[in-house]
Amino acid sequence: MNFNRFILIWLLLGLSKSYAQDSIQSQLDAVKSEITDLKKIEKSHFMIRGFTQFGLDASSEDLSFNMTSFNPIILWRHGDRFLFESELEMEYMSNIFSLNLGYASASYLVTKGLVIKGGKILIPFGTFGEKFHPSWSNKLASAPLGFGHDGMVPMADVGVEVKGGVQVGSAKLSYAAYAVNGPRIKDGTEEPTEAGMLSFENMNDNNRNKAFGARLGILPLQNSSLELGGSVYYALPGSFKSPFAGDPKLKDLNYNNVTALLTALDLCFVKIIQPLSGVLDIKGQYNVSKISNATYFNPSDTARYTFQNNASSYYIQVAFRPSLLDNKVLKNFELVGRYSVYNTPKKSLWESEQSQIQFGLDYWFTWRTVIKVSYQINNGTMGGSGMSSMAGMAGMSANVILFHIATGF
Amino acid sequence: MKKFIIPSIFVFTLFVCMLFFQNCTASKEAIANKSGAQLWGENCLRCHNTPSPTDFNDTQWKTIGLHMQDRANLTKDEADKIVTFLQSAN
Repeated sequence: MNFNRFILIWLLLGLSKSYAQDSIQSQLDAVKSEITDLKKIEKSHFMIRGFTQFGLDASSEDLSFNMTSFNPIILWRHGDRFLFESELEMEYMSNIFSLNLGYASASYLVTKGLVIKGGKILIPFGTFGEKFHPSWSNKLASAPLGFGHDGMVPMADVGVEVKGGVQVGSAKLSYAAYAVNGPRIKDGTEEPTEAGMLSFENMNDNNRNKAFGARLGILPLQNSSLELGGSVYYALPGSFKSPFAGDPKLKDLNYNNVTALLTALDLCFVKIIQPLSGVLDIKGQYNVSKISNATYFNPSDTARYTFQNNASSYYIQVAFRPSLLDNKVLKNFELVGRYSVYNTPKKSLWESEQSQIQFGLDYWFTWRTVIKVSYQINNGTMGGSGMSSMAGMAGMSANVILFHIATGF
Repeated sequence: MKKFIIPSIFVFTLFVCMLFFQNCTASKEAIANKSGAQLWGENCLRCHNTPSPTDFNDTQWKTIGLHMQDRANLTKDEADKIVTFLQSAN
């Protein structure tokens, strides 16, 4: 009897042990299968990334939450060579919600150093517009003068582009060439005080000409810490027909032969400085715009006038983050300073001389989430009619404290 | 201001050419032997902080790698090495 009981217990123990082993093995197999699935690279892949920003702006005249923006970027990769990407710009500012298409383009990797793309593309005129404009890449809460609304720099347009990076010895070349619809010259019929200004981002072309441009960047140092670039952009921004065709007194005013030549130089130096236990980041861009002379019409005094339509802007930004420090809090702080200038054409109705100094202190919670606190000193004088707000100044004329949080996702 | 622009551009161009030709003579092997981790540190930092490898899975890194090759004009070798490093470290 005892012997039978012993056999029964032994059999039960054996069975339960075998069952436990099988159970563990099946669980291990399931985990292995999950890891294999995760490691398997899908041929076609869709994902959403992007960035968002929210802030508080305080000046002697105003205290308001501002610049709430949400910019999802949709990416769809097919195989190793094809990528579709699109950025939607959702923004709520001054009680107005706006939804814009930042860019939407299809890219194809033709060879190792050649990408062709088409659609609404970011214009590689300098580097700020194409690379540093996202709120979690831009170390300060606002764009430098001359960029953005009523700025002088093209940011995005519809067209085609070839671009790539090529290793030459231990140096590297970064190139891009493109043809896009191009800008439209403001003739004063809609906004008289902005006559002669270029308007970029036209989904529909106003003539049969295309704007052409190119950028060449050189990274001469072996560690790619320094990039120096030059950009050029040429366009015929006028319509074939006179905007005053219906007016016998003004129909001779025509802008179809007006030319626009824009050039830029840019600089980017980012390097870990071991003796300072941190990363030094210097960026800058110098832009010049030359538009050929034309005669404009001022409806306020019904007079014709002309001016030398030349504008320029530049910015230089220096940042330092002691990221190699052992202190877990201090290593996440970053000091930033930027100086930018924007001069619009003299004797135009939008004449102005603007400068801006901005000091900032950032705190990085993660590699892509940052709180930015900065003080912005704005200086400017306006000429012309004094009717137009300062171009490219984003409506800010007083000194401002900006408190923003930005994250990439 | 204008009289300084042309000399400044000349000096700038000369400086770039000197750096460029000086580096053309440097070892090509040193470039070819750069690891994905080194390239990750050198290239990502030019525009944003270096990303954490664990934030995305292998498929996502592949897509982001192609996106960054396009946006930052990385060479194909650089993009491939960086993606391989991020996939191995996540």
